[in-house]
Amino acid sequence: MKDNQHIVTAFDDDLSELNISLQNLGKMAITQFELSIDALATQHQNTLDKIIKDDVNLDDLEAAIHEKAFEIIAVRSPLAQDLRHVLVALKIATILERTGDYARNIANRTKVIATAGNENIPGVNIGRMGQVTRDMLQDVMRAYATRDADKALDVWRRDIEVDHMHTAFYKEVLASMSRDPNVVATGAHLLFIAKNIERIGDYATGIAEQIYFLVHGAVPEDSRPKADRTSRVVGV
Amino acid sequence: MDTSVDMIPENKLKAQKVNVFYAEKQALYDVTLGIDEKSVTSFIGPSGCGKSTFLRCFNRMNDVIPSCRVQGQILLDDVDLNSPKIDPVLLRARIGMVFQKPNPFPKTVYENVAYGPRIHGLAANRQEMDYIVEDSLKKAGLWKEVSDRLNDQATGLSGGQQQRLCIARAIAIGPDVLLMDEPCSALDPIATSIIEELISDLQSRFTILIVTHSMQQAARVSQKTAYFHLGQLIEYGDTKEIFTRPQNEQTEAYISGKIG
Repeated sequence: MKDNQHIVTAFDDDLSELNISLQNLGKMAITQFELSIDALATQHQNTLDKIIKDDVNLDDLEAAIHEKAFEIIAVRSPLAQDLRHVLVALKIATILERTGDYARNIANRTKVIATAGNENIPGVNIGRMGQVTRDMLQDVMRAYATRDADKALDVWRRDIEVDHMHTAFYKEVLASMSRDPNVVATGAHLLFIAKNIERIGDYATGIAEQIYFLVHGAVPEDSRPKADRTSRVVGV
Repeated sequence: MDTSVDMIPENKLKAQKVNVFYAEKQALYDVTLGIDEKSVTSFIGPSGCGKSTFLRCFNRMNDVIPSCRVQGQILLDDVDLNSPKIDPVLLRARIGMVFQKPNPFPKTVYENVAYGPRIHGLAANRQEMDYIVEDSLKKAGLWKEVSDRLNDQATGLSGGQQQRLCIARAIAIGPDVLLMDEPCSALDPIATSIIEELISDLQSRFTILIVTHSMQQAARVSQKTAYFHLGQLIEYGDTKEIFTRPQNEQTEAYISGKIG
């Protein structure tokens, strides 16, 4: 018998099922987010509709993960790392489902922007901000798959880059809105989209903290570096 | 004035380098630990790990096994229990024991509780004995159920009631320490819950050591947990730490059901 196997093999099967479902939810959330960033640039209607329509799949899988975790707690009475495994799966599932909600929100706002047809809004950095955030999500879910707390902490530290980009983008859009009142509606949607991306970056760090807890049984000791200054911008 | 020292619970019991042998076979290896006063401490581990053997060191129950030898010190309030000066009978009045299967005497409910105080001369008259019996049954959470059945045969009680009667019998002689060797393993979940609730109540008066095979029971009732494996004390610490983030891989494997 391998060291990491339970005597009751069905317990291993349950944890494995939970693990696979969570990784699938991770893939779905990353895909939805990636598509939403692409569609922000292309304004491709079919893609935007697909993102909005597919969000329910994430909701369903999150519910299934919650049900499985509930069942494992009731039936298997997990302890120590097994218990952390189940609790962490619950929290990460919620984070990934919320990531999907933000992707859907980006798609909804992109549809409005596409209808307005305004070409004068600067958007040079938002795509890059989306890619960096997407990479964080991908890396953190890889860290989950391999239970790599160091890799998770690396993602945790990288969020500051997204914060900097968000603050810069915020100022940029605000400046455009000040110059041209015709772009205020579109600019407001872009500010929300940027905020959604910045929140997804925060979620990636939240997943990283869960991975660290899963491996070490404690949260990271250092406070996370943060640099989102948009709440202090008073004008441009 | 710094009073923080006063807040540290005293070690009621201390085991120092305890080795136990059954003939040539060694059952415990150099076990050293301290037990806090008025707390519940669980001993867990697979069958044959030495946890019951260790529990029995605390009231010298191993004395009755001819091939058994105990080395090292067991201290109760810093007095060595294995000293030749200690009378095991008087010792067992200070350290009571409850066993896996309820084992009431084939006597009445009243006589089961009165037996110990009588042989130790703790009651001067019937009135005092009545008080001890009632008080003990109340402390064991059984009084309401048996107050009108004191003269019935104890063997007619349910399993859970019999076990609480055994606890009443143990506490009737005023011990400081209660040893419990799998006290709920023969009981249904309801009777088990009642005993666990009772253990929590008794903790304010007694230092309690409990051997259990139920991880959840250890987690529920005790403040400290000791994990034994093959006669070695592998890990000893706060129960919530042992069951959420054990430091030793063997402990993790055992409580997670990964070794038999």
